[in-house]
Order: sequence, then structure tokens, then C-alpha cells
Amino acid sequence: MKNSGTKILLIIPAYNEEESILSTIKTVSSSPYDYIIINDGSTDKTPDILDESNANHIDLCFNLGIGGAVQTGYKYASENNYDIAIQFDADGQHDINYIENLIKPILEHKANLTIGSCFIDKTLKNKRSSTIRRLGIHFLSGIIKLFSGKRIYDPTSGFRAADKSIIKKFADNYSLEYPEPISNFELLKYSKYTIKEVPVKMNRRKAGHSSIHSWRTIYAAINVFLSILILNFRRNKK
Amino acid sequence: MTNLQIEMAAAAFVLLLFIVICLKKNSLSIKNSVAWLLLPIVFIIIAIFPEPLTAFAHWLGFETLANFIFLVIIALLILICFFLSISNSKQQNQITKLNQELSLLKQKNKK
Repeated sequence: MKNSGTKILLIIPAYNEEESILSTIKTVSSSPYDYIIINDGSTDKTPDILDESNANHIDLCFNLGIGGAVQTGYKYASENNYDIAIQFDADGQHDINYIENLIKPILEHKANLTIGSCFIDKTLKNKRSSTIRRLGIHFLSGIIKLFSGKRIYDPTSGFRAADKSIIKKFADNYSLEYPEPISNFELLKYSKYTIKEVPVKMNRRKAGHSSIHSWRTIYAAINVFLSILILNFRRNKK
Repeated sequence: MTNLQIEMAAAAFVLLLFIVICLKKNSLSIKNSVAWLLLPIVFIIIAIFPEPLTAFAHWLGFETLANFIFLVIIALLILICFFLSISNSKQQNQITKLNQELSLLKQKNKK
């Protein structure tokens, strides 16, 4: 399924994912989509595994964090003229079978950005979140609604698909910290782009730890809240 | 001149010397050096002629010159820290961009 010439790229950031990277490579290379793995300065065996398995990848010179890694993927997508780029986790959290649903609104020109959300369809039993994390997400969802007037149920989801215009935008400018909620908010409030949420099922991660967990969730939520406040302030002055 | 004045002038002179050496070794860029050069020179002038500044401090409502100088220097340090923070943020962004572009280029070359 090449979607009648539509070029589709999976952007897979990987930081110390030696336990799960190989199965991710297998999954994505047997899929109909192109992929690029961004090795974000891993200090474990991840780079060796990538070289040995001949996976299409970029090695960053040093660790940039999730935002910088994903942005590198968007730059790659922009340079190589991809029509759609999908952020896909290296740790098995995202289910490749849902990509078809995720890109459908973009292919039908009904959205510029789609977010894979595990809070829309309650029947897809999601095991992803701890209570505190869910609270944090609801809090951010409320904040985004308050300031932009629009509701996103899962603003922190790292499972997103972007069309060509968004790829170009993200390649030029992308938040290095907490990129998902912040870029979602920016797009919602200040642009003509349409965002759609698509119900997906997320798996429990196979290995490794989420970049955001436990009490750090609170810290992260406050940080994102402040960033949104500052963004508001910045744009209003213009 | 009191002892205190001599000490202050001497300390400022050492600072000035240190800055000049750094400039000579090129470890401090000339562009950033103006403020750092002015600082010890102003200190030396104050150490030698404290009267006008003392009068000014009194006029502003400070009881002693020392209080005034502390306040000014702390304000100055905060300002310098803030500007350093700004240039640090800018450089961080630039380094991130360099890292990304270089990594992309390396990947392209490997093919």
C-alpha cells in the first residue's frame, strides 16, 4: 500500500533503546512506510545494533533530548520531500496497525496534523498511564482548552502524523522541551491548521522508561503550563 | 589616602591586569571586554576620589558609600548574569541546529 505515490515517513527517536530497538526495526521495515531512526546520542548498544542491522538511521553527535531528535526527523522529512511524517516510538508503545487510521484524515485533506489519542475511545483498553500521569494530561488538556478554546484529549501523545506544511513548520521551529503539548497548543491557537484526534491503542512499553514519569509529571505539567502562558504573552504583543 | 582606598585601588588594578592578560591571550573576546575593562577603571577612580560619589550616595539617601556600592555592584552582577543567560540560550539553539545539520549531512554522505 503506497497510497498512490504519497511518501510516508516514520520518525523514530531512540535514546538508549538497546532492548527494544531491534524488534522496532523489524516491525517498521516490514511495514509499507519508509522510516528514519534518530539515535539521540545513545550510550548503550543502540548505535551498534543500528549499524549491524543496516537500519536507516541518523546518529546525532550528542544527546539533544526528545524535541531535538524528533525535529531532526522532521528536517530529514522536509529535505527528502515526504508528504506525511509520523512520530513513532522506538520502545513498542505505539501500534503500527493504527497508522492507517492516523493518516486517513490527512490523506483525505481533513486535517494537517493528527494525534493518536488513547482517551477518546474508552473501549480500547489502555494500559499506558498511571493515575498521576492521567491527571497531568487532563490538567494540560484543560489549560489548552482555556487558552485556545479548543479541546485536545491527549495533548502529550507522541504518536502524531503531520502533513507537508506541518513538516516544514516543525523542521524550522520545534520546541526542544515538552514538544508535543506545546506545538499542539501553538498550532491550535495561532494557525490555520486543523488538528484531529484519532483513537488509538497504546501498549505498555517493552523496555526503558518514559521520559516523563512519577513526581516529575507534576514538574512537567507546571513547566508546560508556564510555557503556554509565555507563548500567549509573546503572541499577544505582536 | 586611607588604607581601605589603597586596598581597593590595588584589588581593582589586579583585576584590570587579569582582564588585559585574558585579552592578550584571546580568551576573552574584545567585543565582550568593554564592560569588564570599565569596571576596574571605575573602581580605581572611586578609590582615589571617593568624595563626589559619597556626596551623590548621600543625596540619594544612602547612609554610607559602602551600602551604595554594594547595591550597585549586586545590580550589575544580576544584569551580567541575565545577559549571559540570554547568550547561553542563543548558543544552545545554535549548537542544537549545528548538531542536527551535521548529523543529517553525515547520514547523507554514508549512502
